[in-house]
Amino acid sequence: MPVALTTPENKMLGTKRLMNTASLTLEDWRAWQPGRSPTDDPRLSTDERPSGASVPAMLRRRLNDTGRAVCDMLATLDPNAECVLLHASRHGDAERTLDMLYALHEEGALSPARFGMSVHNAVLGVHSIASGNRRSLQAIAASGAEVSALFSEALGYLMDGEKHVVMVFSDAPIPARFADHTPGPSTMTAVVLRLSLTSPSRSSKTLIAQSASATMLEHCRPPQPDDVIAWLLDEAPLVCPLRRRTWRLSS
Amino acid sequence: MANALELELKHLIIDTLELEDVTPDDIDRDEPLFVEGLGLDSIDALELGLALQKTYGIKLEADSEESRRHFNNLKSLAALVEARRVT
Repeated sequence: MPVALTTPENKMLGTKRLMNTASLTLEDWRAWQPGRSPTDDPRLSTDERPSGASVPAMLRRRLNDTGRAVCDMLATLDPNAECVLLHASRHGDAERTLDMLYALHEEGALSPARFGMSVHNAVLGVHSIASGNRRSLQAIAASGAEVSALFSEALGYLMDGEKHVVMVFSDAPIPARFADHTPGPSTMTAVVLRLSLTSPSRSSKTLIAQSASATMLEHCRPPQPDDVIAWLLDEAPLVCPLRRRTWRLSS
Repeated sequence: MANALELELKHLIIDTLELEDVTPDDIDRDEPLFVEGLGLDSIDALELGLALQKTYGIKLEADSEESRRHFNNLKSLAALVEARRVT
């Protein structure tokens, strides 16, 4: 019996095959890591106090330094506020969440503004109000596989027809009370990448996903934003031990 | 006429709502606090309600017409605190 080539199953298999072989293109990036030794690369900021100038003062007052840096980097990489935005953070604003739990225990009343800003999509929410971006905004927490999840989500949106997707990965130090139990960054750090499926040009790079070798997996930690920055600056490989993946940038 | 309570409330508003670059002189006692005038939003209204409760022991209905009138401007807010403060 002849089999039609356009059954839903075949179509899905075809899409899956395409997704496995499609390569992301890194068009541009910005990063913020206070305390890091400055480099010659103008895409990395080490400012102790990012200005948040892209956000009006009445909205900006609710953003912490990471939020201000992220909004400014988003305004640079998506100046027309037309891209789908993804934001991953392993722990989110854990300090603020813990403060609220203390307040709940001690006073029984929560600050509505602090509660509003403690949710995982808060920074993208403020940015969307400030910039007028009404596209999809997605917040991701992936227990240490944030980089892999971000690339997968970006690829999904791009395969679905988006021209560009902007992804944010940010994290802050774990509150002292939890710091002994889980690794975390020592400073607030954020990195923003604009991705597409277009052919790489002089200013962009192809992002190639590969299986990580046993040697690569030996001593690596779940990637944090500063690991992505080191990778972008060609200082270190980027490896996700949970997904056993590594990514290479090729000109 | 501005008085000590109004000045205290101005500081309460600026500190509680983390208003950047706003000084007590920037808050006019007759200008609206919300949307126009100072430009506060609905989250600020909830935050301010909580601050009034913590500082003066005043409990307000979140969405009543009366609460809206109290929050109209600094003058009406001072009148509310004057009349209902328990601490």
